[in-house]
Amino acid sequence: MAKIEPIVGRYIWVPFEGEEYRIYYEEAGEGIPMVCLHTAGTDGREWRHQLCDEKINKNFRVIALDLPRHGKSIPPYDWYKEDEEYKLTAKFYSGILMAFCRELGLDKPVIMGSSMGGNICLHLAEQYENELRALIAIEACEYSPGWHLDWLRHSHIHGGETCATSIFGLMAPQSPDKYRWETWWYYSQGGPGVFKGDLYFYSVDHDFRGKTEKLSGKVPMYYMTGVYDFACTPDMTEEVAKKSKNSECIIMEEIGHFPMSENPDVFNNYLMPVLEKILAA
Amino acid sequence: MFDREWMKRWQDAVNNNGPMSWIGKHFTADMLLGFGDKHFVVSFVKGKIADFSDEIGPESCYQLAVKGPAASWEKFCQPVPPPMYNDIWAMGHPLHGRVTLEGDQMVMWQNMRAFTWALDRMREI
Repeated sequence: MAKIEPIVGRYIWVPFEGEEYRIYYEEAGEGIPMVCLHTAGTDGREWRHQLCDEKINKNFRVIALDLPRHGKSIPPYDWYKEDEEYKLTAKFYSGILMAFCRELGLDKPVIMGSSMGGNICLHLAEQYENELRALIAIEACEYSPGWHLDWLRHSHIHGGETCATSIFGLMAPQSPDKYRWETWWYYSQGGPGVFKGDLYFYSVDHDFRGKTEKLSGKVPMYYMTGVYDFACTPDMTEEVAKKSKNSECIIMEEIGHFPMSENPDVFNNYLMPVLEKILAA
Repeated sequence: MFDREWMKRWQDAVNNNGPMSWIGKHFTADMLLGFGDKHFVVSFVKGKIADFSDEIGPESCYQLAVKGPAASWEKFCQPVPPPMYNDIWAMGHPLHGRVTLEGDQMVMWQNMRAFTWALDRMREI
């Protein structure tokens, strides 16, 4: 019998700020909508294990999108004549994400994101608390400097190999080689300047210092960080979690910055109790 | 550890490594590796360690120096290194500073895949 996964991929046109974005997403399961956000410079393939996990998708409609310029989501048509190089901002990221959720008709989704997808959860809690059920902020902190580097889009440097290798050490040595190198592979395939542009948000535009304690706590926040993450260390996550009302902080052993793709078995064991709490709420 | 004999074992591990033959095809650079007070200039030629020398003097030439306490490198070389010591960029990232990167940093970024692959061989000797 053929081994066919339950994942289905589709395209949706999302109007946002005078532009229309053709966004690719994959989904599986039924129940509470849960939108999964990939890390910088890559795409929704990172979530393939969670999409396929029956323990997850029996209660959740798991949706993993590719942001514009990532994976199968094309850039805006005029990208090649933009006056400035691509720089992701919190305003665009949160705005396009919520426009996607509305266009898809999602009712109070859970948002789960890692790295820049974790950091954006703070902005979503600030601006869209009435439209969200819960936020799962993986590898998130208030401020994560040191990654917006010209080396990541440079005519003398192989972008694919260098972007991918620069993130390899963010994964734990205990994570299976096959999944670490699969994550590397995804990173090797980003468009030129996209990883660097995303890291503008990650390391520059995202600076939530002094703002976390002002969040209302209306949306429950679950912070989850792996001990091998050297971009957002456990200490950095514990600090933001300490200031967040209605939050929980989970530090994950023997895993790094890409828990969903580098070691899905270990990550899903940490994730399930969080999802059970969201289901019970 | 980090003496000439150890460096020779690392040289052999790099030069006999299968994937290094294609990953490192264009990796030619002179690097200084500093393990505490023991320093070596390592000459990579097309992904192989052609030579290394601990006779550092006024005529020594290298493009990039990667230096750190021996204790940092000892952790890096463990079969399962602890967090923040498992990767050269993890150790060299300004947030952590377990090693310093001095000189032409583009050399590291241009050759990052081959360089990190070579350093990872330190865990096999």
